[in-house]
Amino acid sequence: MMEKKIMDETFTVPIGPQHPALKEPSHFRITVDGEIVTNAVVRLGYAHRGIEKAVEGRNWIQNLYMLERICGICSHIHATAYCLGVEQLAGVEVPPRAQAIRVLTAELERIHSHFLWVGVAAHEAGFDTLFMYIWRDRETVMDLLETLSGNRVNYSVNILGGVKFDINEEQADAIRKGLDYLEERTNHYLDVVSNDAMFLQRTSGIGVMTRNQAEVLGTVGPTARASNVARDVRVEAPYGAYFDYPANIVLEERGDLTARFVVRIKELFESYRLIRLILDTLPSGDLETRMPRRIKEGETVCRVEAPRGELFYFIKSNGTDMPERIKIRTPTICNMTSVVKLVIGHQLADVPMILVGIDPCFSCNDRMVILDRSDGYKQQWTWEALRQHGIDYYHEQHS
Amino acid sequence: MGSTTIMNNIPNLVALLIFPAGLFLLLCGLFYEWADRKLLAQLQNRIGPRWFQPLADIIKLLAKEEVIPDGVNPTLFIGLPIIALAGGLTAALYVPIVGLLPSYGLPGDLIITIYLLSLLTLCLGLAGSNTLDRFSLVGATRTLTQLFSYEAPFMLALLGPAFVARSWQISVITTFTNNRWLILSQPLGFLVAVIALMGKLELPPFDAPEAETEIVAGALTEYSGRGLALFRLGKGVALVIGLTLIASFYLGGVTNPFLFFVKTLTLLLVVVALQALLTRLRIDQTVGLWWRYGTLLVLAQWLVTIVWHGVAT
Amino acid sequence: MKIGIMISDISNSLFRRPITELYPFERRETPESLRGMLHWNSENCTGCGLCAKDCPANAIDLIVLDKKAKRFVLSYHPDRCTFCAQCVHSCRQGCLEMSNEEWELASLDKDQFHVLYGVKEDVENILAGSPLPDVDRIE
Repeated sequence: MMEKKIMDETFTVPIGPQHPALKEPSHFRITVDGEIVTNAVVRLGYAHRGIEKAVEGRNWIQNLYMLERICGICSHIHATAYCLGVEQLAGVEVPPRAQAIRVLTAELERIHSHFLWVGVAAHEAGFDTLFMYIWRDRETVMDLLETLSGNRVNYSVNILGGVKFDINEEQADAIRKGLDYLEERTNHYLDVVSNDAMFLQRTSGIGVMTRNQAEVLGTVGPTARASNVARDVRVEAPYGAYFDYPANIVLEERGDLTARFVVRIKELFESYRLIRLILDTLPSGDLETRMPRRIKEGETVCRVEAPRGELFYFIKSNGTDMPERIKIRTPTICNMTSVVKLVIGHQLADVPMILVGIDPCFSCNDRMVILDRSDGYKQQWTWEALRQHGIDYYHEQHS
Repeated sequence: MGSTTIMNNIPNLVALLIFPAGLFLLLCGLFYEWADRKLLAQLQNRIGPRWFQPLADIIKLLAKEEVIPDGVNPTLFIGLPIIALAGGLTAALYVPIVGLLPSYGLPGDLIITIYLLSLLTLCLGLAGSNTLDRFSLVGATRTLTQLFSYEAPFMLALLGPAFVARSWQISVITTFTNNRWLILSQPLGFLVAVIALMGKLELPPFDAPEAETEIVAGALTEYSGRGLALFRLGKGVALVIGLTLIASFYLGGVTNPFLFFVKTLTLLLVVVALQALLTRLRIDQTVGLWWRYGTLLVLAQWLVTIVWHGVAT
Repeated sequence: MKIGIMISDISNSLFRRPITELYPFERRETPESLRGMLHWNSENCTGCGLCAKDCPANAIDLIVLDKKAKRFVLSYHPDRCTFCAQCVHSCRQGCLEMSNEEWELASLDKDQFHVLYGVKEDVENILAGSPLPDVDRIE
């Protein structure tokens, strides 16, 4: 009886798949007791696009652009991870100038991504003024990327074996000028997120993740670094030009939302430093090496540090001009479990803030996962079987 | 006899339906809503809406189908927005809109006005709890919780000027405050009154009851069409009345239309700046703020005023 | 602990023009590197068709009318194009380039989204739908 009564008092608030707090589809079932969250369940997969299957039917060059479109915000880092893997398979050495330009673009992209995140998170917290100003200043870096590459979002900087464009002095000066402005503004925003009493009420002490939790839950990127877990692929396993331009890791100890703001904003200073350094000491030389159209048989694993954390690529070639298999793991999927754990015990009003704290990117993380293992585990599904499974599933749901 | 009753009542009807309450007040409410949005946009370095945007929104909403969801009491669902708006419009009859004397007055009409304004919030809360939608229910709970937290400080803050004017009738208080800037003698009362008005109108940072990133549109989530339009008009009216009350009590009175617009718009600018500067509070933080600081501040103000008054006389 | 740190921003904005640009009325100059509409210069084309093969969006078809006489027609679909410039890069003869001026390509007319580059006569023949002998289409 008692148990039943407790059951009746709980109340489930569904968040998503369509909800103003979520800019992308995913579904959270939040059980609340009054305003306090007692349980949370996540369901992903509403934005599955079949990209891993689609790349198997396109050649290596076409796939560069397909994979770039996994994420609209960190497009360059996806292409870079893929290029690094394919170049490794083909045994091709990319010229240092091209590698430096890749890192330069990646850091500009990190600036744009972190600015975007601070804006979104401020909006979720109900501080629209910060949102408006930070997105205004983000235009500066968007313009720089446009001047540099010709596109504002999917920059398409990479080609297999190098990069598409060079940087001249005029562009370098434009970047330096833009960075000066951004650095001044970033100092101001750091002051706002770490000292504004009203804003701290919504972030300080919210969603605290201890270092141990962060390690156990397998978090990556700034989310982990805000809990003092020194996890940054640029530092741990440098790739490309990060050997020549080593990045410093930014750590915070508190593990709450404030720490996640501070880590991301402090990383911006690190990006500014790296970009200035690269511009001042850009190695001369070619921009690309010739790549074969067919890639040697073999398989490889490639890790890079996306703005949201570690991005993982598995690439397998069968010796033709198309890949055999590409498997991608984006940072959001690693961080998602931490959200479900951290929201318990918090107020409903803090749920969107904690969710946004990991900088989620839902359509990036939606991959095919087989959950149904009742009729024996199957490694491979035929198209027919998959279709039949879908039909049966919906019959079951609606009967 | 019949015709004379009608003739005698024409000024009353005009006052009720056209000016200063009724149509004029609705348009005034839309204008202040626009001014609020435009100023906020300017402070955020944006362009903001054009002058007819609130009017266009209302026309659009009035023209749209009103969906009555399953499981609600339809009479309440349709009736509550009308009661809310009617409450706001009635309150306007006791308030010196555009600097004119209030259309009606009776001893103690300050209390009536404050309660008529609360009717809007009460209707919002009831409208939310009338529907089965989860967001509406959470929104309604928050609306009513917020109502109980700011209402007492708001009332005490408005009673400060009433105390020094020795009357609870708005027309008497406004005559007393004319050219007496009570903001100078009761700054805390003024501060609490302005912030409580923001809580009443659910403006940021007190917009937890309708925080779109958490509970969509709060209590009004299920409302579309006419009901939503009436609630929005009601909020516009409440904004005008609230600004008028505070400007006439604390800012040296509003005795002519020019002073009215200058003072209320200046006050609106302060309200907008606060909206732009502050982050949304969670509902528990809102309640804590009002009961821990708001009420104490205004009580301290009262104490000072009473002691000062005792010493002076 | 301070309240309202952003007051410096909002007080600056109060007397400043909004940063928002009213796009169709206010325009910025496009950067030199902007990738817009694709243009084809047939002079050096060898008909290798790499541009069509590497296009990730299948926006390019190279119609080979006569390889020896170098009679090619390039069929381009700006609506499918993702402006990645891979074709420009793949072309070893430098026949392709992207305009930094033509980038407002939206249109209500579907015909705008099928552009044929080549000798006028060939293009007209293809548009008229007349049968062409030995046509090789590289997609």
